[in-house]
Amino acid sequence: MDFMPCYKHQLIRKTVKEFAENEIKPRVSELDRDSEFPFDIIEKMKPLNYFGLQVPGEFGGADLDTISYAIVVEEISRVSAAIGLCVTVHNSVGIYPILKFGTREQQECFIPAMAAGESIGAFCLTEANAGSDAGGVETSAQKIEDEYVINGTKIFVTNGGVCGTILVFAVTEGERDLANVFIVEKERPGFSVGEIEDLCGMRANPVSSLFFEDCRVPVENLLGKSGQGLKIGLAALDAGRIGIAAQALGIAQAAFEDSVSYARERQQFNKPIAKFQTIQNYLADMATRIDASRLLLYRAAAVKDSGKSFSAEASMAKLHCSATARKVTDLAVQIHGGYGYSKEYDVERYFRDAKVTEIYEGTSEIQKMVIARHILNQPS
Amino acid sequence: MFKIIVCIKQVPMVSELPWDSKTGTLKRELAQGMMDPASRRALEAALRIKEDRAGEDQETHITVISMGPEMAREILYEAKALGADNGVLLSDRKMAGADTFLTSFILAEYIKKESPDFDLLLCGSQTSDSETAQVGPQLAGELLIPAMGYVQSIELDDGMVRVQRHVDDFMELLEMDLPGLLTIDQGAYSPRYVALEGIERAFHTDDIRTVNAGDLGLDRDFNALKDSPTRIIDVYSPATRKENQVLKGAVKKVVGQLFDEYGKIISGAMGKDLKTHDHEGAK
Repeated sequence: MDFMPCYKHQLIRKTVKEFAENEIKPRVSELDRDSEFPFDIIEKMKPLNYFGLQVPGEFGGADLDTISYAIVVEEISRVSAAIGLCVTVHNSVGIYPILKFGTREQQECFIPAMAAGESIGAFCLTEANAGSDAGGVETSAQKIEDEYVINGTKIFVTNGGVCGTILVFAVTEGERDLANVFIVEKERPGFSVGEIEDLCGMRANPVSSLFFEDCRVPVENLLGKSGQGLKIGLAALDAGRIGIAAQALGIAQAAFEDSVSYARERQQFNKPIAKFQTIQNYLADMATRIDASRLLLYRAAAVKDSGKSFSAEASMAKLHCSATARKVTDLAVQIHGGYGYSKEYDVERYFRDAKVTEIYEGTSEIQKMVIARHILNQPS
Repeated sequence: MFKIIVCIKQVPMVSELPWDSKTGTLKRELAQGMMDPASRRALEAALRIKEDRAGEDQETHITVISMGPEMAREILYEAKALGADNGVLLSDRKMAGADTFLTSFILAEYIKKESPDFDLLLCGSQTSDSETAQVGPQLAGELLIPAMGYVQSIELDDGMVRVQRHVDDFMELLEMDLPGLLTIDQGAYSPRYVALEGIERAFHTDDIRTVNAGDLGLDRDFNALKDSPTRIIDVYSPATRKENQVLKGAVKKVVGQLFDEYGKIISGAMGKDLKTHDHEGAK
């Protein structure tokens, strides 16, 4: 067991950090304030393979291992959680299911444009009456000859406003109601994008509703076998959880670093507040939580690369990293005092961005259900 | 085949480097390493030459060489990720502590032995950690080849190179026969970002060669630290002394005091003789 990062992982971290600090950081406050999706930054990310992180070289991707993938998402999110969100959702729940369950034809058709960043991926499961309970999905797909006709509304879709390739979770009407996942291109008639949501955090990501009104796709766009929808959805979410855990870790790391430098500079009672034991306790607590989170995350990533089931590990990583992000950003605001509550300081944004990591890609409560199920399914 | 050698160095990442204010030195052991920014520009120049030539169906081979401890291997991988063809790490305890004179000597020994048929040798103008700007020119001296420093643009032309560089208030356009050495100016050849695909590829093939003192045929009792003619007497940060003095009291009194004490400095800064104003009368 080796806990030291290898040259490759060190280099990936430095590379992404350099890009994020130079290209994203100068604009991050403005993007958050204006809820602006930075198309120009995305353009710069495309040739550097940020949209094909784990895509095989034959489809134009970087073919990274999952620890590298987690490091990339962590370092982008350390600067902008909203752009980190775009990258992780596109790569994990957008591309991964097509790589894992798609036919060779589907992969050749969809992956190259996605890996090049020309077509941004989105995954839509959540509806007005279906969130944690995936079984409540009402969006329907009716098979008519060699097409499926999709009807329904999806909400809170990450990348919704800019997506090009959408994985849609729907129930196929027939003798039995089967859950299925369809690949829908944004050009299909009957597909439209709703208003961009006005959210508490992640404001630079165009989260929106997506509408499907008699939206027809050829039968070739069914992902996997008919009835495999739930399996695909759960596999996508397992992979997605590693990404969201990495995102949460990036937010926590940023809040921690800002807190350390603020505590060193801020003077009260004629000394830097870092000299006070209370602040030291906060910093020690933050650092320990972050380190534990990082170890859980990289362990989950390593298990995924080993080819074994990584569902419980991914849920543990996501549960712990998101709790860390919320706790650490909370303490960061506390350390910054009144300034931490002001938009003048980045910790205010970290605090808003952190909360949702406990909600999407499965709430913390759902993660505990997944973990408990794995424990209780073990032979006694 | 046009053969380019780029000499690169790993330097401490100064932005993350803890500075010991008591001793005035860098805590190098705590620093992360990175490719020296000027070395990276030299590599960028090589990559652009390679790309330009590839457009004309001409082959170019880039070798990157670094002398340093084992951890310097990381920047050789980085150079490969950016597009270098192979890397060489000159690493040995006996080479540690080499000054610029012996660094140039060791680099030259390797090049004479293993890559004497190079066409162009590139270095950064100066490294960010020591800023001596000596290794490039000294290396040309060791190899008995022509050299030009602080180059801003390069154009290849049949057995020679045409370069531009900024000198004082004018641009120089110079020509030099090849093989030769150029050092790249810190403001030229803005380096590209590393593509992630390149990193994965760089680690797929393990063609970074490690060369030690024995491989180079250096004397058994060669010891760079002892044999380096340069002695570092002291390293310190230039101290800037600023002291604020707050003048307290009635306006009339403090203005008078201000001109009494700082009148000369203020008139110097303004370029006016303030003595023509009779502030003495205000007393």
